[in-house]
Formats: sequence, C-alpha cells, structure tokens
Amino acid sequence: MTNTKLIFKSITRRKGRFLFTLLGIMIGMASFVTFMALGGSLKSQIERESAALGANLVVTPKGSCAYEQVSILTGEQLPTNITKDEVAAIRSIEGMTAIPYLAERSAIKNRPVSVMGILPDETKVFKNWTLAKGNYFNGANADGAVLGSVLAEQFELLPGSEVRVRGNQIKVLGVLEETGGKDDLTVFLSLPVAQSLYDQKDLVSYVAVRVDRLDEVDLYANKIKDKVSLGVVSDKQMRSSVLSIVGTVNITLQMIAAIAILAAAFGIVNTMMTATYERKREIGILQAMGATRNGIFKLFIFESGIYGLIGGIGGSVLGGLAAVFVSPYISQNAATSFVKGAQSSPDPMMLAGAILFSTLVAMVAGLYPAIKASKLSPVEAISYE
Amino acid sequence: MNNPVISVKGLVKEYGQGATLVKALRGVDLDIPRGSFTCIIGPSGHGKSTLMHLLGGLDHPTSGSVCIDGQIMSQLNNKDLAELRAKKIGFVFQFFNLLQSLTAKENIETALMLAGVPDKEQDRRANELLELVGLGEKANAKPGQLSGGQQQRVAIARAIANNPPVLLMDEPTGNLDSEAEAEVMKILENLKRQGKTIIFVTHSHEIAAKADNIVSVRDGQVQVPQEFKKAS
Repeated sequence: MTNTKLIFKSITRRKGRFLFTLLGIMIGMASFVTFMALGGSLKSQIERESAALGANLVVTPKGSCAYEQVSILTGEQLPTNITKDEVAAIRSIEGMTAIPYLAERSAIKNRPVSVMGILPDETKVFKNWTLAKGNYFNGANADGAVLGSVLAEQFELLPGSEVRVRGNQIKVLGVLEETGGKDDLTVFLSLPVAQSLYDQKDLVSYVAVRVDRLDEVDLYANKIKDKVSLGVVSDKQMRSSVLSIVGTVNITLQMIAAIAILAAAFGIVNTMMTATYERKREIGILQAMGATRNGIFKLFIFESGIYGLIGGIGGSVLGGLAAVFVSPYISQNAATSFVKGAQSSPDPMMLAGAILFSTLVAMVAGLYPAIKASKLSPVEAISYE
Repeated sequence: MNNPVISVKGLVKEYGQGATLVKALRGVDLDIPRGSFTCIIGPSGHGKSTLMHLLGGLDHPTSGSVCIDGQIMSQLNNKDLAELRAKKIGFVFQFFNLLQSLTAKENIETALMLAGVPDKEQDRRANELLELVGLGEKANAKPGQLSGGQQQRVAIARAIANNPPVLLMDEPTGNLDSEAEAEVMKILENLKRQGKTIIFVTHSHEIAAKADNIVSVRDGQVQVPQEFKKAS
C-alpha cells in the first residue's frame, strides 16, 4: 500500500460521482482549451493579414466601422460604395500606389469562399505574388480565375478545371504560390469580370494605398480626404481596431470558459465535502492506525488534485480536437473569421499550462474539505455512525 | 505490579463548559501490567470509552497523565502521538473497523504503510498476518464480502500488524455470535501467550471471567479492581 494507491482507491470507490465530477471539470477545461487554441493564433494571423494587404492606408466607404475593417482583413463581403470616379481621383494622387478591390462571396460545394475583383497586373506587383501553376490573367479585363493555393487544394482545382461563381462556370487559369494569408482561400477575378458578375458596375469595396515615403502616411491620408469624401484608415489604426474588437470577443469567450471551470471547481468542492462526511469514520480509523493530520490533509488534497489532473488532460484532448475539427466550420463572424485560415492546432505549452492550471484549481477547490477532514478529532470521527 | 505497560495518574477528562460541563473521568489512577489481559467493564455512559480513547492517545486529557511503554503522552505533539498510535497501540472497535474500499490485505498494508514499512515488505507481512488469523484465502475480499467475525479477525490482524505491545479493543465481540466470538477469543489468547497486553472493553461476564485483571468504571471513576470471577 502506498499513499498514491490509497488515494486512487478512495477516488474510484464511488464511480458515478467520480465520473460526473470529472466530466464537469473536463467540459470546463475543454471549452477553455478550445477558445484558447482558437484565439491563440488570432493576433499573429491579424498581423499577417494586415501585412499581406501590403497597404499603409485603406480607403473605405464613408462611415464604415470596425466591422468593415475586419472584413477587409478576412475577405468578407463588403458594401460597394466607392465609384469609378472616386477611384480615379485617388489614383491620380502622385507619390503613392492605389489598388481598388471588389470583395464578394461565393460558395464552392456549399463552402463559402471569398471572391475578389482585382486589377490583375497592378495587384500582382503590389502583393508580390508568384504563380505556382498555370497562367495568370493576360489583360486588365481577362476572363477566367486565378486561385489561392489552399482553396485550389481543398477543392481539387487545377488550371483548366472550372469553378462556379454566382452561377457562371469560370475557367481556372492558374494557382498562386501559398501566401499564408486569406489570399490562399480566395478566388481572384479581373475587376471588370467581377463587377459584371455581381452587378456592381463601376463600383469597388475598398482601395488599398501604399505611399512611397513611410513618414508621409498622414500627409497622404489628408490628401485623399481632400479629393474624395471617403473614410481613410491607416494600417496601424485598422490593426488596433480589429485587434480590439476581435480581442474583446475572444476574452468574452474565455471568460465564459472560466465560469464553466469555476462551476466545475464547486462541483469538486461538493464532491470532496460529501467524501469527508461519508468517510468521517474511516478518517477516525486511519487516525487510530497512526495517520497524522498532515497525512489526512494530503490524502484529500491530492484526491481533489487528481480530478483536476485527469480533467485537465481529458479537457485538453477534447478541446484540442474541437479546435482542429470545429474551426473550419465557424468562419462566419468577426471573432472567428481569422481562425479559418490560422493554424488552430493547440500549442503544447498552452496544453501543459492548461493541465497545470486545472490541477491547481482542483487543489484549491479541495483545500476547504481537506482542512475540514484533517481537523477532525479522532474521537469525534470514530464515534460517528 | 512491576513494570506496568500503561500507567495512568490522576486522569481527568471534562467536556463542554459551565452548565453543560460533563466530567467523563474524575481522577483515574490505574496500572496495567505488561502481558496481562485486562477487561474494562461498567455501565454505558460512565466513561469506559473515554478511558479507552485516552489510553490510546486518541484524545488529550484535561489533566493527569498517561504513560505507555515509557512514553508520557501529554508530552507528545499530534504528530508524535500519531506515530505512537501506529507503533505502540493496536485498535479494534465494535463496528466498521475496516476501510470499506480496500481489501482485507490492503487494510493491513495500510496500517503497515502508516508505520513506515516499505511497500515490498508490506505484502509479505500482510500475508503472514492473514494466515495467523486464519483468513489466508480471503486476502482479496472486500469487507462487504466478509462475515462480521471475519471482519473482526482482519481488524485484529491489522491491529497487530506493527507488533505493538498494547491492544485496545472496544467491545470487539459485542456484535458477534458465539461461534465468531470464540474464534476471536482464541486468537486473543494466542496473542496473550506471545506477551501482548490486551485491554478489552466488554459487557460480557463470560469474557470478563477470563481476564487477569478487571477494571470497573463507574461515574467516571475506577473502582477497586474486584475479583469478578468470585463475584459472579
């Protein structure tokens, strides 16, 4: 007999209660791990998307809010209120490059995908794209589509195959090299083709602007505002506002998970309190056999620690699996749209931290029952029937 | 009485305060000879169990002292008292002696563990002890699968696991039929022959008749040991 064996014998004697208490902490930890895993790569993914945009300034429709800025980074559908004349006016400003985009959505095999109307040659230079397979657009209003690498792979599309966009069969011209951002999940069309497919003649969603001299970003923002009555946001502002909105949602989710863990911790308190009452006489017998108060305390505190340890391991496995399998299906809101492109497989350090955290929470939960058990006087415990 | 194994002087135990003050023991002086079979008798509620608990170091006296095998208990802290219980005293109670989630053998091993016996040796000793009480084949039975008499025999095996000089038994046969009681008594007689001091709380005149020594507790005081055999 060892202390460890004694603890395991005690913990498994009420199998149902053991299982249900364990499930409580496991579910709490699983939700926590899922949200941590999904949220973990969010910041770096936002920064990557912002870098992939390649712009210092973004011109958005007047009165657009943070949600639209999220959409620019994630490739969601956007209102198209910027006219051809406004685009021309912006592009006429010297000392910067301005690229208009039409951001739309379509679906392939019922899975939503981004569709972008672009100026083929200028965008290619602006984004520094290289082609992996096939050909690129051979003119400003060329037919056909160029695909992001992940999307091509997911739907097994190759140059020469056809992709259906808004009811039209469109021939795939080529596939881009992987960029690591949402461009990998996008169908690119030439701007005129996209405008006619989506009935958005002469309209675009936003204009990405790169200024020649970085120290003059503010100056150019004002120049654009002078020319057109549209919103202008710098990439830094956009990043911080997107991070704050996404971060808020993320923290809210983690708070909910924390409440689930808290509830589970009270489940452990409850179970351990019941155990101290139920085993009151046995505690007395152990004391008569020579167990110290410290020994009794350890038996109970480690018993509740085991709930946390097993619950943490189980929760991490469940949460990790959920993060991997669920993330492709939850791409439709501001908080989670980044998750789709991100690697949401959980970080081993985070899992180790979660297991440690869960064990600690359980031991803290077991503190009061363990103290109560260890403070029992032997006579009182033995006389209990 | 030369070299008593337990020596009690002026033992007082009070519970509660003021109006609810209960004087459970009112100054007990007592020597228990080494190797004797001593019965503690007396009506319920007169302080038998309190005396047992104090002799066994389960409780602290209000005043007075208990000296067991040369150690004065009032000078020990809780930790040393626990060690004394593990090594110098074996307890057997009337009901629910065994840890219900453990097998017979594991119950004995737990007592050995608490006295610091290494894991490997526990196995050997536990088997020996079960043989000694005639339950070698019940090693892996849980208490629920054993009869009352068998449970008490396991409890005795556990109580003597660490070879303590003193066995304290609180009505261990009070709940058994005659046959089971006879088996338990046979084991105790063997233990006495091996030199164990056995202190036995009982209501049974037949058991008390076998005692070397009878301590009668009444109104929190020990009455002069009477010659129970002759009186009955």
